[in-house]
Amino acid sequence: MNTPIGGQRGAWGKTAASGSSRRWRQLRLAATAAFLVAVLAGCVTAVKVESGQHAVGQRLVFNLEGPWNQIKLPNAGLAEIWTMEGLPVDQLLVYSGLKDGEDLNAATAAGPMQGQKRSFTFKSGMQPEQIVQLFEGMFTRDGSTFALTKLEPASFGGSHGFRFEYGLTRKVDNVQLSGLGFVAVDKGELFAIVYLAPRLTFFPRHVARVQQMAGSAIIRHGSS
Amino acid sequence: MAWSLLAALTIGAVGVSAQTAAPAEQAAAPTSKNLAAGFNSLPKGTKVVVMPVDIELFSLSAGGIPEPKADWTETASRFFKSALLKEEKALGLVTVELSETDADALDEINNLHGAVARAIAIHHFGNLGLPTKEGKLDWSLGEAVRPIKEKTGADYALFNWVRDSYASAERKAAMVVLALAGVALTGGVQVGYSSLVDLNTGRVLWFSRLARGRGDLREEQPAQETVKALLDHFPVVQ
Amino acid sequence: MQRREFLGFACACCAAGWGSIARAQSESAAAPGSVADWKVPAKFTRPDIATDEGGLWALMDREETRMRRSPFLIRDQALRDYVQSVACRLGAEHCPDIRVYVMHTPMFNASMAPNGMMQVWSGLLLRVENEAQLAAVLGHEIGHYLERHSIEKLRDAKSRLAFGQMLGLLGLVGAVGQLAMLAGLLGYSRDQERAADRIGLQLMHRAGYDTGEAVKIWDNLLVELKARPDGDPAKNSPLFASHPPAEERRETLARLAAQYPGGVSNEQALLDVIQPMRFDWIVDEIKRSQADESMALFTRMLAHKAQQPDVLFARGETQRLRAKGGDMEAAVSDYLAAAAAGGEPPETHRGLGMIYRSRGQAADEKASFARYLEMAPGAPDAAMIKSYVEELNG
Repeated sequence: MNTPIGGQRGAWGKTAASGSSRRWRQLRLAATAAFLVAVLAGCVTAVKVESGQHAVGQRLVFNLEGPWNQIKLPNAGLAEIWTMEGLPVDQLLVYSGLKDGEDLNAATAAGPMQGQKRSFTFKSGMQPEQIVQLFEGMFTRDGSTFALTKLEPASFGGSHGFRFEYGLTRKVDNVQLSGLGFVAVDKGELFAIVYLAPRLTFFPRHVARVQQMAGSAIIRHGSS
Repeated sequence: MAWSLLAALTIGAVGVSAQTAAPAEQAAAPTSKNLAAGFNSLPKGTKVVVMPVDIELFSLSAGGIPEPKADWTETASRFFKSALLKEEKALGLVTVELSETDADALDEINNLHGAVARAIAIHHFGNLGLPTKEGKLDWSLGEAVRPIKEKTGADYALFNWVRDSYASAERKAAMVVLALAGVALTGGVQVGYSSLVDLNTGRVLWFSRLARGRGDLREEQPAQETVKALLDHFPVVQ
Repeated sequence: MQRREFLGFACACCAAGWGSIARAQSESAAAPGSVADWKVPAKFTRPDIATDEGGLWALMDREETRMRRSPFLIRDQALRDYVQSVACRLGAEHCPDIRVYVMHTPMFNASMAPNGMMQVWSGLLLRVENEAQLAAVLGHEIGHYLERHSIEKLRDAKSRLAFGQMLGLLGLVGAVGQLAMLAGLLGYSRDQERAADRIGLQLMHRAGYDTGEAVKIWDNLLVELKARPDGDPAKNSPLFASHPPAEERRETLARLAAQYPGGVSNEQALLDVIQPMRFDWIVDEIKRSQADESMALFTRMLAHKAQQPDVLFARGETQRLRAKGGDMEAAVSDYLAAAAAGGEPPETHRGLGMIYRSRGQAADEKASFARYLEMAPGAPDAAMIKSYVEELNG
């Protein structure tokens, strides 16, 4: 709903879907364009993550049943992005050892968006609700809407953490997505896997493997 | 005028995927890249529902800003659709159309398909292949397509998406001016995809994409040519 | 771009009204203009698609289809019927051409397309205090529609765009020039806004509403506007340095409204209709994470009517999440006031529990969380809160 001409914009504000989220759209567009250019240039690659033991970062290990695809970006941070069906369809974000003061967003594929005002800074002392709010803020910065459906304590990686489920309506194309996340903070560092896929067909298809992956996780207690 | 972000994402996906293919223009020969494993033909008389064609035509202003042209789009939609129906008939298929109310109800599935189509464009036709797909056209919308079958009784659904831009007079003038300075500007790009989905399984059986610098959907004959180009790799009907 | 940033805040009152200031002219002390001799035009017929106006209609038709299918459309029939009825009352003979869509967006905005499609955002419905205020905004939009301002805008924009692009192409204009050009594109002109204000008031009066309520909208928006941390909007952008347009607009409206005394405001009708959704919209507002503006809004709402448990909760929650200075103490105070008022959202007790938890006040934490779980056993985070209670049990 972006036509700048024609009655879409009232006298009162062309904010939000206009204003701020339009700005996000422009930034998102720039980021996407940059991504696509990177794809063209061969800077972005997809590698297979095989079944079996797989380490992410220095402290997180999984024992996978079945392969995944990892999308490797030139400026990858501490998070990895995995997918089964392709980025426009499903995404698995893997955080390993995000430190106090580091930005959730800067660590992911989209990359830091130029000039964005909101940061999603992780703090070691955060309560589960606050961490969920960080993810929520990140997923909704383009105007998408987020609805938490479940938040409960859960063990992750052998550490006391939590699990959360949510729904997301993606602003850009109205696709309705389901999400599942497993999080633990160990020695002040954040470890998490968060999966997002369309609620029709795709989330049900892959969620069991995400749960298997979460169940297999081990957070090593070495110093980072 | 601003692109809609979604249009841009899709154009980007399809455009990028086409750029990574060696030839400057779509090759005419049908390839296995367009077909899902184990599929290459349809029986004559197969019922295909044509999902609402998603077409948008733009005029490129001098600076390259695309401006949506509703009257062109209206005309192009009509030409494209009639060319499509004609082509389907020629192929020996039975076409079922969707009412506006039904289209409303199937909107979520339509949007879902759009996301899958972008994934196919980037990861199957582009150079960011997903190792787990093993180079195959292997995507399925699964049970999600059932309501389409229930509403129409068709066995397959055909989705079409086209974005087409044309140089405005100012753009053409600018092209001349800059050509003198040794700068080449595009005159407009025609980007699109066409996808055939099996309504019994949800599998994407056939996917074709188009990205080229020519074609005119505003006139009947050229519009037919565009449809032919899109359906060029269509599975055999026998 | 600075201007876009500025436009990107809550209560709006941005965009067009301001955009018009960004253009060359400064506001003269001209009289508001005669309203008495304006007449409602006859119903419009659909223009030929090949014309620019026809093209715009067709574009809007497609937007309307998208909106009809959008998950962001609010489908509550009572709400839609209510807003539609207000629009119809204002539009009179144009009523059959007006189609209202209420969208789930937490900002103050309404707009109307030349094909008769009207959008109203939930952020606006949260902020207006009564039906007359809603009518003021809708009347203003209908004013733009009746005067076909969108077409004027389009024609103006096309010539600007072509000109600007040509300049840009030849590298003759820098960021400032483009800004000024785009600023013109972004909103209705100042004259158009004035016209819409005048017509809106006339329509309001004709439909029996108290025109004085139109002024209150601007007063309320100003309160939110000034709450921005940087204070003066002028500091955000040199374009607004010399004038406070909202204040001016407010003055003009006040003078005009004085010409139309009488009329009703219908507060209860509006509150009744939005009641089922108000909590969701309040939560949306909090989630915008624009605490200063949210604080201004909730405080203003409480000043208008104290003892609203959902708004007291909202203000408490906003402060708890902002967590600056004396926010925590103030949050506790608001949460407790909400509970005292009765009918408070269960989340009130969760908020209290969180604060007590952070302070190590175990007994209070336990009591609050227990109350939350009692009131909302099926809450998404029930299991999490339960685990906190169990932790305290040892």
